[in-house]
Amino acid sequence: MMPAIDPRYDARKKRARVAMFITAGAIVVSSALDGTRFSGWRWVTWVLGLTLIIVFCAISMNASGGLRGSLGCGRGRAVGDRSDGLVAHRWHGLVMVSRIMPGPAGRRWLAEADSMLWEIAAAQRAAAVRSYLVSGPRLAAVMWAYEGLRWVRPGPRHPG
Amino acid sequence: MGLRLTVQVQLVLQALLRDPAKEMYGLELSEETGLQPGTAYPILLRLEHEGWVTSRWEDVDPRAEKRPARRYYRLTAGGAVQASAALAGARRPRDTALRRLAQGDGIA
Repeated sequence: MMPAIDPRYDARKKRARVAMFITAGAIVVSSALDGTRFSGWRWVTWVLGLTLIIVFCAISMNASGGLRGSLGCGRGRAVGDRSDGLVAHRWHGLVMVSRIMPGPAGRRWLAEADSMLWEIAAAQRAAAVRSYLVSGPRLAAVMWAYEGLRWVRPGPRHPG
Repeated sequence: MGLRLTVQVQLVLQALLRDPAKEMYGLELSEETGLQPGTAYPILLRLEHEGWVTSRWEDVDPRAEKRPARRYYRLTAGGAVQASAALAGARRPRDTALRRLAQGDGIA
Protein backbone atom coordinates (compact mmCIF):
# COMPACT_ATOMS: atom_id res chain seq x y z
CA MET A 1 0.00 0.00 0.00
CA MET A 2 2.88 2.35 0.57
CA PRO A 3 5.29 3.74 -2.01
CA ALA A 4 8.51 1.79 -2.37
CA ILE A 5 10.52 3.08 0.58
CA ASP A 6 13.70 1.51 1.87
CA PRO A 7 12.35 -0.88 4.53
CA ARG A 8 15.37 -0.21 6.75
CA TYR A 9 14.61 3.53 6.66
CA ASP A 10 10.99 2.80 7.46
CA ALA A 11 11.99 0.56 10.39
CA ARG A 12 14.42 3.20 11.73
CA LYS A 13 11.67 5.83 11.54
CA LYS A 14 9.27 3.56 13.38
CA ARG A 15 11.88 2.78 16.07
CA ALA A 16 12.56 6.51 16.52
CA ARG A 17 8.85 7.17 16.98
CA VAL A 18 8.51 4.37 19.51
CA ALA A 19 11.59 5.66 21.41
CA MET A 20 10.13 9.18 21.43
CA PHE A 21 6.80 7.82 22.61
CA ILE A 22 8.38 5.88 25.48
CA THR A 23 10.66 8.77 26.51
CA ALA A 24 7.81 11.26 26.53
CA GLY A 25 5.70 8.83 28.52
CA ALA A 26 8.48 8.32 31.07
CA ILE A 27 8.94 12.08 31.48
CA VAL A 28 5.22 12.62 31.95
CA VAL A 29 5.01 9.91 34.60
CA SER A 30 8.10 11.14 36.46
CA SER A 31 6.83 14.75 36.32
CA ALA A 32 3.44 13.74 37.57
CA LEU A 33 4.90 11.70 40.41
CA ASP A 34 7.53 14.26 41.39
CA GLY A 35 5.71 17.58 41.12
CA THR A 36 8.33 19.27 43.33
CA ARG A 37 10.76 19.35 40.39
CA PHE A 38 8.90 22.38 39.03
CA SER A 39 7.88 25.41 41.04
CA GLY A 40 4.21 26.33 41.30
CA TRP A 41 2.03 25.15 38.46
CA ARG A 42 4.86 24.92 35.89
CA TRP A 43 4.74 21.15 35.93
CA VAL A 44 1.16 21.25 34.63
CA THR A 45 2.27 22.89 31.39
CA TRP A 46 5.03 20.29 31.10
CA VAL A 47 2.62 17.44 31.57
CA LEU A 48 0.13 18.93 29.11
CA GLY A 49 2.85 19.60 26.52
CA LEU A 50 4.28 16.12 26.79
CA THR A 51 0.82 14.57 26.71
CA LEU A 52 0.31 16.35 23.41
CA ILE A 53 3.59 14.89 22.14
CA ILE A 54 2.45 11.42 23.19
CA VAL A 55 -0.88 11.86 21.42
CA PHE A 56 0.90 13.10 18.30
CA CYS A 57 3.32 10.17 18.37
CA ALA A 58 0.51 7.69 18.94
CA ILE A 59 -1.42 9.10 15.99
CA SER A 60 1.60 9.04 13.70
CA MET A 61 2.40 5.48 14.82
CA ASN A 62 -1.17 4.56 14.01
CA ALA A 63 -0.88 6.24 10.64
CA SER A 64 2.27 4.33 9.80
CA GLY A 65 0.61 1.06 10.72
CA GLY A 66 2.16 0.68 14.13
CA LEU A 67 -1.02 0.13 16.07
CA ARG A 68 -4.10 -0.44 13.94
CA GLY A 69 -5.29 0.13 10.40
CA SER A 70 -1.86 -0.73 9.03
CA LEU A 71 -2.25 1.49 5.99
CA GLY A 72 -5.04 -0.57 4.56
CA CYS A 73 -3.29 -3.86 5.07
CA GLY A 74 -6.22 -4.99 7.18
CA ARG A 75 -7.75 -6.82 4.25
CA GLY A 76 -4.77 -8.94 3.42
CA ARG A 77 -2.77 -6.49 1.37
CA ALA A 78 1.02 -6.44 1.31
CA VAL A 79 2.96 -3.31 2.21
CA GLY A 80 4.92 -1.80 -0.63
CA ASP A 81 2.58 -2.29 -3.56
CA ARG A 82 1.21 1.24 -3.98
CA SER A 83 3.43 3.10 -6.37
CA ASP A 84 1.76 6.50 -6.54
CA GLY A 85 3.71 8.69 -4.11
CA LEU A 86 1.15 11.48 -3.95
CA VAL A 87 -1.67 9.09 -3.22
CA ALA A 88 0.43 7.27 -0.65
CA HIS A 89 1.07 10.59 1.04
CA ARG A 90 -2.65 11.33 1.09
CA TRP A 91 -3.35 7.79 2.24
CA HIS A 92 -1.92 8.88 5.59
CA GLY A 93 -4.59 11.56 5.58
CA LEU A 94 -7.29 8.95 4.96
CA VAL A 95 -5.98 6.86 7.85
CA MET A 96 -6.03 9.92 10.10
CA VAL A 97 -9.60 10.75 9.07
CA SER A 98 -10.68 7.16 9.71
CA ARG A 99 -9.40 7.58 13.29
CA ILE A 100 -11.96 10.28 14.03
CA MET A 101 -14.78 7.94 13.00
CA PRO A 102 -16.30 5.33 15.33
CA GLY A 103 -14.03 2.24 15.28
CA PRO A 104 -15.79 -0.31 13.01
CA ALA A 105 -17.29 2.38 10.77
CA GLY A 106 -13.88 3.99 10.32
CA ARG A 107 -12.28 0.66 9.46
CA ARG A 108 -14.99 -0.10 6.94
CA TRP A 109 -14.67 3.36 5.36
CA LEU A 110 -10.91 2.92 5.07
CA ALA A 111 -11.20 -0.60 3.66
CA GLU A 112 -13.72 0.56 1.11
CA ALA A 113 -11.57 3.55 0.14
CA ASP A 114 -8.66 1.14 -0.23
CA SER A 115 -10.69 -1.16 -2.47
CA MET A 116 -11.89 1.75 -4.58
CA LEU A 117 -8.48 3.39 -4.96
CA TRP A 118 -6.99 0.08 -5.96
CA GLU A 119 -9.30 -0.30 -8.93
CA ILE A 120 -9.79 3.28 -10.03
CA ALA A 121 -7.83 4.58 -13.04
CA ALA A 122 -4.52 6.14 -12.01
CA ALA A 123 -5.48 9.49 -13.53
CA GLN A 124 -8.58 9.72 -11.36
CA ARG A 125 -6.98 8.44 -8.17
CA ALA A 126 -5.81 11.77 -6.76
CA ALA A 127 -9.26 13.32 -7.25
CA ALA A 128 -10.88 10.30 -5.62
CA VAL A 129 -8.59 10.53 -2.59
CA ARG A 130 -9.34 14.23 -2.35
CA SER A 131 -13.07 13.54 -2.40
CA TYR A 132 -12.65 11.04 0.44
CA LEU A 133 -10.61 13.55 2.43
CA VAL A 134 -13.10 16.35 1.85
CA SER A 135 -16.18 14.30 2.78
CA GLY A 136 -14.45 12.41 5.62
CA PRO A 137 -14.84 14.84 8.53
CA ARG A 138 -18.53 15.46 7.77
CA LEU A 139 -19.07 11.74 7.38
CA ALA A 140 -17.40 11.21 10.74
CA ALA A 141 -19.92 13.59 12.30
CA VAL A 142 -22.77 11.65 10.66
CA MET A 143 -21.33 8.34 11.88
CA TRP A 144 -21.06 9.64 15.43
CA ALA A 145 -24.63 10.86 15.17
CA TYR A 146 -25.69 7.34 14.16
CA GLU A 147 -23.71 5.97 17.09
CA GLY A 148 -25.50 8.40 19.38
CA LEU A 149 -28.86 7.33 17.99
CA ARG A 150 -27.97 3.71 18.67
CA TRP A 151 -27.36 4.60 22.29
CA VAL A 152 -30.58 6.57 22.54
CA ARG A 153 -32.71 4.05 20.62
CA PRO A 154 -31.30 0.59 21.18
CA GLY A 155 -32.51 -1.79 18.51
CA PRO A 156 -31.24 -3.82 15.57
CA ARG A 157 -27.72 -2.71 14.75
CA HIS A 158 -26.74 -1.67 11.27
CA PRO A 159 -23.45 -3.05 10.00
CA GLY A 160 -20.50 -0.83 10.91
CA MET B 1 -32.88 11.21 10.63
CA GLY B 2 -34.90 11.52 7.41
CA LEU B 3 -33.40 11.10 4.00
CA ARG B 4 -32.98 14.29 2.01
CA LEU B 5 -33.42 13.57 -1.67
CA THR B 6 -30.62 15.67 -3.13
CA VAL B 7 -29.64 15.39 -6.80
CA GLN B 8 -26.72 13.13 -5.81
CA VAL B 9 -29.00 10.83 -3.82
CA GLN B 10 -31.36 10.67 -6.79
CA LEU B 11 -28.47 9.74 -9.08
CA VAL B 12 -27.43 6.90 -6.78
CA LEU B 13 -31.01 5.66 -6.46
CA GLN B 14 -31.52 5.79 -10.23
CA ALA B 15 -28.36 3.76 -10.76
CA LEU B 16 -29.45 1.16 -8.23
CA LEU B 17 -33.00 1.08 -9.58
CA ARG B 18 -31.85 0.28 -13.11
CA ASP B 19 -31.65 -3.32 -11.98
CA PRO B 20 -32.77 -3.56 -8.34
CA ALA B 21 -31.70 -7.19 -8.03
CA LYS B 22 -28.17 -6.46 -9.23
CA GLU B 23 -25.43 -5.79 -6.73
CA MET B 24 -23.15 -2.87 -7.50
CA TYR B 25 -19.82 -2.01 -5.95
CA GLY B 26 -18.63 1.48 -5.13
CA LEU B 27 -16.56 2.15 -8.22
CA GLU B 28 -19.29 0.84 -10.51
CA LEU B 29 -21.79 3.17 -8.86
CA SER B 30 -19.36 6.03 -8.99
CA GLU B 31 -18.82 5.55 -12.73
CA GLU B 32 -22.53 5.13 -13.37
CA THR B 33 -23.50 8.29 -11.50
CA GLY B 34 -20.46 10.42 -12.29
CA LEU B 35 -20.04 11.09 -8.58
CA GLN B 36 -16.68 10.98 -6.86
CA PRO B 37 -16.30 7.91 -4.62
CA GLY B 38 -15.97 10.15 -1.58
CA THR B 39 -19.34 11.68 -2.41
CA ALA B 40 -21.11 8.42 -3.18
CA TYR B 41 -20.02 6.69 0.04
CA PRO B 42 -21.88 8.94 2.52
CA ILE B 43 -25.01 8.60 0.37
CA LEU B 44 -24.79 4.81 0.39
CA LEU B 45 -24.19 4.86 4.13
CA ARG B 46 -27.30 6.99 4.68
CA LEU B 47 -29.37 4.75 2.39
CA GLU B 48 -28.14 1.73 4.29
CA HIS B 49 -28.95 3.36 7.59
CA GLU B 50 -32.49 4.06 6.35
CA GLY B 51 -32.81 0.40 5.35
CA TRP B 52 -33.17 1.13 1.64
CA VAL B 53 -29.89 -0.51 0.74
CA THR B 54 -28.05 -3.52 2.00
CA SER B 55 -24.35 -4.21 1.55
CA ARG B 56 -21.85 -7.01 1.97
CA TRP B 57 -18.15 -7.61 1.48
CA GLU B 58 -17.25 -9.68 -1.54
CA ASP B 59 -16.16 -13.14 -0.52
CA VAL B 60 -12.80 -13.41 -2.27
CA ASP B 61 -9.22 -14.01 -1.33
CA PRO B 62 -7.51 -10.65 -1.96
CA ARG B 63 -4.17 -12.37 -2.59
CA ALA B 64 -5.60 -14.71 -5.19
CA GLU B 65 -7.58 -11.93 -6.87
CA LYS B 66 -4.66 -9.50 -6.51
CA ARG B 67 -7.06 -6.78 -5.38
CA PRO B 68 -8.94 -5.96 -2.18
CA ALA B 69 -12.46 -7.26 -1.71
CA ARG B 70 -15.24 -5.03 -2.98
CA ARG B 71 -18.22 -3.86 -0.99
CA TYR B 72 -21.40 -4.66 -2.89
CA TYR B 73 -24.61 -2.65 -2.53
CA ARG B 74 -28.14 -3.64 -3.48
CA LEU B 75 -31.59 -2.16 -2.90
CA THR B 76 -33.71 -4.02 -0.39
CA ALA B 77 -37.23 -5.02 -1.46
CA GLY B 78 -38.74 -2.24 0.60
CA GLY B 79 -35.99 0.13 -0.44
CA ALA B 80 -36.72 -0.39 -4.13
CA VAL B 81 -40.39 0.52 -3.60
CA GLN B 82 -39.53 3.53 -1.45
CA ALA B 83 -36.81 4.69 -3.85
CA SER B 84 -39.18 4.51 -6.85
CA ALA B 85 -41.83 6.45 -4.94
CA ALA B 86 -39.32 9.02 -3.72
CA LEU B 87 -37.88 9.55 -7.19
CA ALA B 88 -41.37 9.93 -8.66
CA GLY B 89 -42.20 12.41 -5.91
CA ALA B 90 -39.02 14.34 -6.51
CA ARG B 91 -39.64 14.48 -10.24
CA ARG B 92 -43.17 15.89 -9.93
CA PRO B 93 -42.36 19.33 -8.44
CA ARG B 94 -39.37 19.67 -10.77
CA ASP B 95 -41.50 18.90 -13.82
CA THR B 96 -44.18 21.31 -12.64
CA ALA B 97 -41.58 24.03 -12.13
CA LEU B 98 -40.10 23.39 -15.56
CA ARG B 99 -43.57 23.53 -17.12
CA ARG B 100 -44.27 26.82 -15.36
CA LEU B 101 -40.94 28.20 -16.50
CA ALA B 102 -41.66 27.12 -20.05
CA GLN B 103 -45.03 28.91 -19.88
CA GLY B 104 -43.38 32.03 -18.51
CA ASP B 105 -45.13 31.87 -15.12
CA GLY B 106 -41.94 31.42 -13.14
CA ILE B 107 -40.17 34.44 -14.61
CA ALA B 108 -40.62 37.62 -12.56
